[in-house]
Amino acid sequence: MTFKKRSLIVASLTLTLSLLAACAAPAVPAAPAAPAAPAATEAPTAPAAQGGESVVTTWYYYDQNNTDPQANERVGNFYIAKTIPLFNEAHAGRFKWENVPRDYNLVLDLVTAVQSGGDVPDVMQFDITHLPTYLLNNTIQDVEWAREQPWFSDLDPQAVEACTVDGKLMCIPISESPWLVYYYTDFYKDGFPKTPEELLRVGGELSKDGNYALTYWGSTAFDGEAAGRYFYQVISSFGGRYDDGQGNLKLNTPENIKAIEFMREVVKNGLSSESVFAGNFEEEEAFKQGKAGAFPTGFFIAVRYLNPLKSPAGKDYANIEEAVNDNAVALAPFVATEGNKPGCSLDLFGFVVPRTAKNVEGAKAYINWIMDPQNTVDWIVSAGGGFPTSASLRADPAFRTELYKQAQAVGEASACRPWFGSLRRIPEAKKIITNTIYDLIKARPDADIAAELTKAEEEYNRGN
Amino acid sequence: MSVASPQRARPGRGRLHFNRTLPFWLLLPGLLIIAAIQLYPALFTVYLSFQRIEPGTGRYIFRGLENFQRLFSTRQFIESIGHTAIFLVGYCVLAMTFAVLIAMLLRQRVKVTAFAITVIFVPWVLSDVIVGVVWRLFVVPQYGLFSPFFANPSLFPPRGISVLTTPPPPTLIPGIYFPPAPALIFLIFASAWKVLPFITLLILAALQTVPNEVLESAAMDGATAGQSFRFITLPLILPVLTVALFNLILGGINGVGMVFSLTGGGPGTATEVLSYLLYSIGFARLDFGLAAALSVVMTVINLTLVLLTLRLSQPQEER
Repeated sequence: MTFKKRSLIVASLTLTLSLLAACAAPAVPAAPAAPAAPAATEAPTAPAAQGGESVVTTWYYYDQNNTDPQANERVGNFYIAKTIPLFNEAHAGRFKWENVPRDYNLVLDLVTAVQSGGDVPDVMQFDITHLPTYLLNNTIQDVEWAREQPWFSDLDPQAVEACTVDGKLMCIPISESPWLVYYYTDFYKDGFPKTPEELLRVGGELSKDGNYALTYWGSTAFDGEAAGRYFYQVISSFGGRYDDGQGNLKLNTPENIKAIEFMREVVKNGLSSESVFAGNFEEEEAFKQGKAGAFPTGFFIAVRYLNPLKSPAGKDYANIEEAVNDNAVALAPFVATEGNKPGCSLDLFGFVVPRTAKNVEGAKAYINWIMDPQNTVDWIVSAGGGFPTSASLRADPAFRTELYKQAQAVGEASACRPWFGSLRRIPEAKKIITNTIYDLIKARPDADIAAELTKAEEEYNRGN
Repeated sequence: MSVASPQRARPGRGRLHFNRTLPFWLLLPGLLIIAAIQLYPALFTVYLSFQRIEPGTGRYIFRGLENFQRLFSTRQFIESIGHTAIFLVGYCVLAMTFAVLIAMLLRQRVKVTAFAITVIFVPWVLSDVIVGVVWRLFVVPQYGLFSPFFANPSLFPPRGISVLTTPPPPTLIPGIYFPPAPALIFLIFASAWKVLPFITLLILAALQTVPNEVLESAAMDGATAGQSFRFITLPLILPVLTVALFNLILGGINGVGMVFSLTGGGPGTATEVLSYLLYSIGFARLDFGLAAALSVVMTVINLTLVLLTLRLSQPQEER
């Protein structure tokens, strides 16, 4: 058979298959046609456990069967292992909790499971950045019933507002975690600088002999995570933001341009090491080894993952709390330009109920159980992270340690909000934003900032 | 004395039909399994490439060629085509060249023991992700084993390089992503290292089928080593080289594990090849329609390259 014939056959086959497939009836199980906030419950045929109890399924990236004391998620693993018997005991004869350990791709897993009619949890932990994706894909159901619960009125109204879409409550906000700066007091003896100019000046003096003024997530790894991390901390501290409030990407603003110029200076003057662009959390090492003076990051991220530490003076600490108690590390807001409050990204954690959850009553029981004050404290300290959104719980001793006190003061001194604002296609937005800013501060530090920001806007807004 | 051969019993028509169709029935279970696990997903991908999710309802709606238009208009897609082309050329040339050289060396009366073959095969049996992680550890900026070597300004002027973070130099021709970033070159080396044992053993096996007598008589007739290789060895091992090239092309275009674990597509988008872009669009952005469109485009690219390879590897007289 000649090459020509073979090519023709392949081309015809591809074309025929394409046409056939395109004309075929949809094979994806169709979701209900109702937009955004769907009806409360669908076919709650909860699987029964032994003894007439119905099973409540959760998905966490914590694994109750992993007893490794060195595991990355050991705190959450032990928490789930400890609390499963407690929940089952409290709901004996009615509900039995089963946790399905998952990896970090919870959003992808949930969206695809709901779309394909696969197994889904009855209740799942969420991060506020996931909410737009769930809404876009009609993945979750509303949790309006929560408004009638006794604990609801105690929740932070701003957190409730963040969970409310078209007047319907779509998630239960339980904890919030601001982004701030952890710094070594050995490096910054007079406290962390207050203005960008001061940081450049003081940082320049510190960045000698293998040390660096700061470290941060500057890489494009994990599909643009930097957009909600360091990049947003700087942008918002200069009074900037990513959106126009109408769901459009709006990057080309004087505030954003100044913020990017500042980030360029940080890189150009060697205030940070190359590892900030290496991805895979390499940037953390410089701080953990006492080589970088400051680390702008999430409050909860540092509490959970920044361990162990070696201070610049060479003293070892098992975790960040120990270092704060010893006054080796302190917390501060990021720098801010005149007239602006230091900016910070705000993480919000809690629960969502998938649209196709089988045991919605079980989900309600689980959430109500978690919202019992002592259980809430346990969940926040071990699984969720940050501060409680319940006003009364903030006085709990667990949140009155030196670390929490400093974090609370920093949070109050900063202007914190979820980084994505009105943007809805979060995964796409964060990749475009991160690639653009990275390109401007690292790959092409001479490129025209305004022109590149406009190009990025156009790329995202074409999809609106 | 003639012995009449016993007349063979003639099978009946039904029996004949059974014998003719038996292979089909024996193959049917396998074909059905292949249809279920390969054909259906492939067709579904084509179907999905014409659909887009309706915001808010999660339903797929027919949008014609919109996904393809979106794909071709994104800068990332064009960039990743360039990165893939550079990767593929570098990967195939490096792996084939070294594989042929090593195989030729091994053929020179070197006795390859089972143990040696096992050792040679180690990179091939490792998973892409493991190889990526190990090679990444060599060049991590702060503590990588080879990082000081690459950071040496006298070896890599003017300021040394950091493999994972140094951006690509300015392009020589606008729109052509060349020269590549150090990370892409490193990725090519890591990928070629991993596949080298398999390709080497494939070629070694082919070389061992080349008759020594022919080579010896060519030498007696005054043929140089180069001429022997060009006019005797190469034509004889060409079918195997074609198989090796198939393997490299398909693996090179479709493999994502190594990119994922070694560079994560970075620095910036410097190592974002088509397969990684597909992963990123599908699994990170959850834009399944666009990802399906990219899959279809990649299938066409794969088929084109395979057919081209077949065409070019055919002996001249058969063309």
